[in-house]
Order: sequence, then structure tokens, then C-alpha cells
Amino acid sequence: MRPLRAPGRSPGPAGPSAAWLAPAALFLGVAFLVPLATLVATAARGAPGALWLALAGVWARPHTRHALANGLGLSAAVSLAAIALCLLPAELLARRRFPGRGAARLLLSIPLAFSGVIVGFLAIVMLGRVGVVPSLARAVFGRPFGEGLAYALPGLFLAYLFFEIPRAVLALEAAFARMDPEVDAAARTLGAGPVRRFARITLPALRPALVGTFATTFSVSLGSYGAALILSRRFSVLPVEAYQEFTAFGNDAGACAMALWLAAISLVVSAVAAREARPRG
Amino acid sequence: MKSRTLLAWIGILAGLCLSRAASGQEKTVIQYDCIPNYANWGGVTALYQQKTGVRVPPDPKGSSVALAAIEKEKENPVADTAYYSGAIGYVAAQKGLHQAYKPKGWEKIPADLKDPGGLWWTVHTGTIAFLVNTSALGGAPVPRSWADLLKPEYRGKVVYDDPTWGGTSYTMLYGLNVLMGGDEKDFRPGLDYLRKLDANVLTYPRESIYNGVLRGEVPIWINADGNGYKMKHADNGPIEVVIPKEGTFSMPLVMGMVRGAPHPEETRRYLDWLLTPEAQAEFSKGFFRPVVAGAISPEIAGKFLPPAEYARARNLDLAKMAAASDALKKAWLEEIRRSR
Repeated sequence: MRPLRAPGRSPGPAGPSAAWLAPAALFLGVAFLVPLATLVATAARGAPGALWLALAGVWARPHTRHALANGLGLSAAVSLAAIALCLLPAELLARRRFPGRGAARLLLSIPLAFSGVIVGFLAIVMLGRVGVVPSLARAVFGRPFGEGLAYALPGLFLAYLFFEIPRAVLALEAAFARMDPEVDAAARTLGAGPVRRFARITLPALRPALVGTFATTFSVSLGSYGAALILSRRFSVLPVEAYQEFTAFGNDAGACAMALWLAAISLVVSAVAAREARPRG
Repeated sequence: MKSRTLLAWIGILAGLCLSRAASGQEKTVIQYDCIPNYANWGGVTALYQQKTGVRVPPDPKGSSVALAAIEKEKENPVADTAYYSGAIGYVAAQKGLHQAYKPKGWEKIPADLKDPGGLWWTVHTGTIAFLVNTSALGGAPVPRSWADLLKPEYRGKVVYDDPTWGGTSYTMLYGLNVLMGGDEKDFRPGLDYLRKLDANVLTYPRESIYNGVLRGEVPIWINADGNGYKMKHADNGPIEVVIPKEGTFSMPLVMGMVRGAPHPEETRRYLDWLLTPEAQAEFSKGFFRPVVAGAISPEIAGKFLPPAEYARARNLDLAKMAAASDALKKAWLEEIRRSR
């Protein structure tokens, strides 16, 4: 009989060599560290202290400060909503075998294939002035609903939600699949109701996955720009401001400083999430 | 087994891409701001490829963005040429981003529509107008004047491009300010009007919304007249082109050869060709007025509004417009786009 071992962890000589990390590390180095160094150098161009001035400028100018705050709020709200919406579907996908399960999973991951710009156009097709939703509402209720919503905050929120759903569902499904169903079954035998089991067993067991999923969806939303570029009339986010600074005025230093803020915030969120996700004990 | 099939497909695809790249015989000229639905660039570049085999790929940048990109790439140019609304091309030439070239047919361009040194020249002209999708107005009458556009019945129905993206919109922004009594130093009158108009604006796009207007998503687009005529006559849309009562602005659309253009010979040949009667007639199919007199067929000329309407279009001073461009665009961003 083979000794029992936790799945996924293979200590000792049986595991793959750490050398396999090299290609990924090399890629990451080239694709992340080099651009990061360029960004820092660009933002710092000119006088000493220019980097700090540029970074402070993002916070000091009202429109970039608002855009950053908008992005933080929107990303947090979208991530929480995506997680809340995806918990049940993820559990279903992980634990039940039902006809159409493969199709459902496929459907939920479709948004992964679309760039933000395409999601923006989708939002206009659905919730634009002559979008599908207002047209249907006019046909059914005699008056339009959601007309032009695509250009306002609700449209932007829905567009972001659309592309965060697959990320949340797939991450949470994996987490549900790793959970030991025996514990839940035991609790049921001991008479615990569904709510109590969810609060006392499922949620604590899922905590690392929830935190990790939040960090991923939050960072992706914070850095996303395509949907906002197409949709936002006034509600702006920092990536769009960086784009505008760079393309319309050629202000490299300003755009780079905004990029550095975004990168720093994403890194901090990921680091905190990694710490939080570490199993306690 | 499955993954092997997948790998095979990936291999075939990669091979196709490589063979296309390796065949490399395909010559290209890179033109920044080459939007297929604007001034019939799609038709013009397709005709050029068919005649010469040289490809001029589409490029979605508006003039302002094209200018910023060429400036950015100054040390290592990617573009061979660029197309701009007049003032933006003037700025590019002033900034030293162009090299002098006088394409064949130079003498056919009127003197006030070209730089004497050959740094920029006009290929065709347009006029700022309201392009109105009459089936999308929801019962409201077709607006006839700038004053009409402020009426509450047009709430959420008016669109003009972000002028930091597109030169057509910058022409409108500058022209409106002049029309309302401002000048190249005083932007207040124009911005005051646009601030009021903001209540009716659906969005300030940074991409071509030609198709949105055709579909009725955008009922009123303030843009170049030719794009509206094309929607009406080439795409059979329910579109009416309106020259506003108080007046409007004509807009030379210019080109220049980028300093350090990577394909100089091909580019000169292409720029020469764009002034031939053949190419000029092709632009007129997009309802932009050829700069070379006589290139437009009577049939197409007859589809424009009567000349009396165009008498209300003023010419703008490109030098003043160019000098104001950075400050005016920034003022627009602060006062309109970023206002809350």
C-alpha cells in the first residue's frame, strides 16, 4: 500500500526540479522587470526627485486622484460582487454532476476570450441607447429601461463584472474541488443546518481561495482600461488617464507615474492576499 | 492524442504566419490615421494595393494621437506618412516631425492649402456638419442650428469625438470658439457653449463611431460632412447632413512625409499617387472634396448640399489654430470631460 500523501504536494525527489521555474522566471524578468525599470527611469527623467514629484502629482491633481479612487472603488465592488455571484455556481460545478455541466462551465469562461474594448462594445450593444435591453423593454412594457446605461456607472460596473465572472468562478470551483466533502457530511450527520455548515465549515475552508480570488479580480479590474475607454463618459479610471496623458499629450513621465501607482497597489494587494491565504496553525 | 492534434494545429498556424512573413515581398507604406470609414481611406488604400501591390494598412489613430505617436517615435520612426486635420498637421510640421516633399501635382494645390516648403499639403477638404440619423431622434425635429442642439429634446442624443483624440473634433472646438466670439487666446465663449451642450452629450468617443451613427445608437454626430453623405448614399442610412444656421468651418485635411520614414521611396510614390485624378476621385466617393479641381464627378458633386449652404462655412487660420492646440485641448479636458 502506498503511503497517503496530500494531493498536489510532492516533497522529495519525485517532484519536478526547480529548474523548471527558469523559463517562467526569465519571461517574468523580461516582461515585468525591464518595463518596470523603464517606467521608473522615464518617470524620473530630468531633475533628481522628479520621480517623487511625478508620483506625488498623480495624487495631487484632482482628476488623477479621482480616477485612482474611482478605480479602487469600482474594482473592489466588482470583485466582491463577482465572488458573491459565483460562489453557488462554483460549488455546483465542483460538486455536482449534471447534464450540461461542461456547457455551463464553457459559457461561464467565454468572457475570458474578450478584450476590454470588446466588452465595452458588448455593453453598448446591450445597454446603449438602442441596446437590446431597452428595445426589449420597450416592446414588452411599452417604455424603455436601461437606455444609454452603458455610458454611465452601472454600465461600466456590469462590463467589469462580465469579465471578472470567469476568473472568480474558475478559481472558486478549484477551491471547492479541493475541499474535503467528508467534513461537511459529518456536520450534516451531526445535525448542522445548511446555513450553519456554510458559515462554520465552507467559508473558513474557502477563506484562502476567497482572498486570492479577490486579489486577482481586483488587480485585473484596477489595471483594465479597454471597457472604460469605450464606455466612460465622465467616470474615469487611472489606466484611461494614463493612456490619454501618453497618447494625447506625449507626457511620458505623467503616464509612467500613474502606471507605477497601479503596479504598486496591485503588488501590495497580492502580497497581503498571499499572507492572508497562508494556512494558519 | 488530443493534445497532439492541438499541437499540429498550432504548428500549421505558425507555419502559415511565418510563410506569410517570410514571403516578405509585400511592400508597405505606414500611414498613421488611416481610418477606413473616414474619407474613404478603405477604398483608396484598396485601390492602391490593387494597382501596385503596395499595402497601406488601416490605422485607428485620430490626428492628435497620430501626432503624439510620431513625436514619441522621433528617434526611431515607424510611420512613413500621416493624415491629419489641417491644424494638427501644421503642428507636426512645426515640431520638425516632417521632411520636405512636394509630390507630383503640387502646383494643382491652391497656395493657401499647402506649406511653401513642402512640409504639409492638403489632399481634400471637409466641412463640419451635424450628421443626423433621422430615425433615431425619437420624434424630435432635425436640429438646424448650434442653438437647437442645446434644447432639452436632444438630451443624450449628441456626440462629438474627444478633441484630444481626433483632429476633426479639434477643428470643431476651435471653430466654435471663434464663432461664439472667442479667439486663439480666449477660449471662454466656446467652452461656455460646450459646457451647456454637455448636458445633451451621450459620450465623447475616442474611436470611430461611424457605425454607431448608422445603427441609430448615436442620433447626432458633429463631424465631417462627407462621412454623413457616405452613410446616406453608400450605406443607405436614414441620414441627413445639416450645415448649422449660425455657420460652420471648413477643414483642410493634410498629409506630410515623416522625417526618417522607413520606406522613403515607396512613400513618395504613394504620396504622388494620392494627388492623381484617380485617387482624388476615389476620395470623392467618401464625399470629401478633392483638392485637385475637376476630380469629382458631377454625379457625386450633386449629392452635396447646395453651394448656398456651404457659403456659411468659414476658413480657419491654421497657424493660430495650431498655436492654440495644446492649451485649448487641455482647457476642454478640464472644463468638459473632467468636470463633475
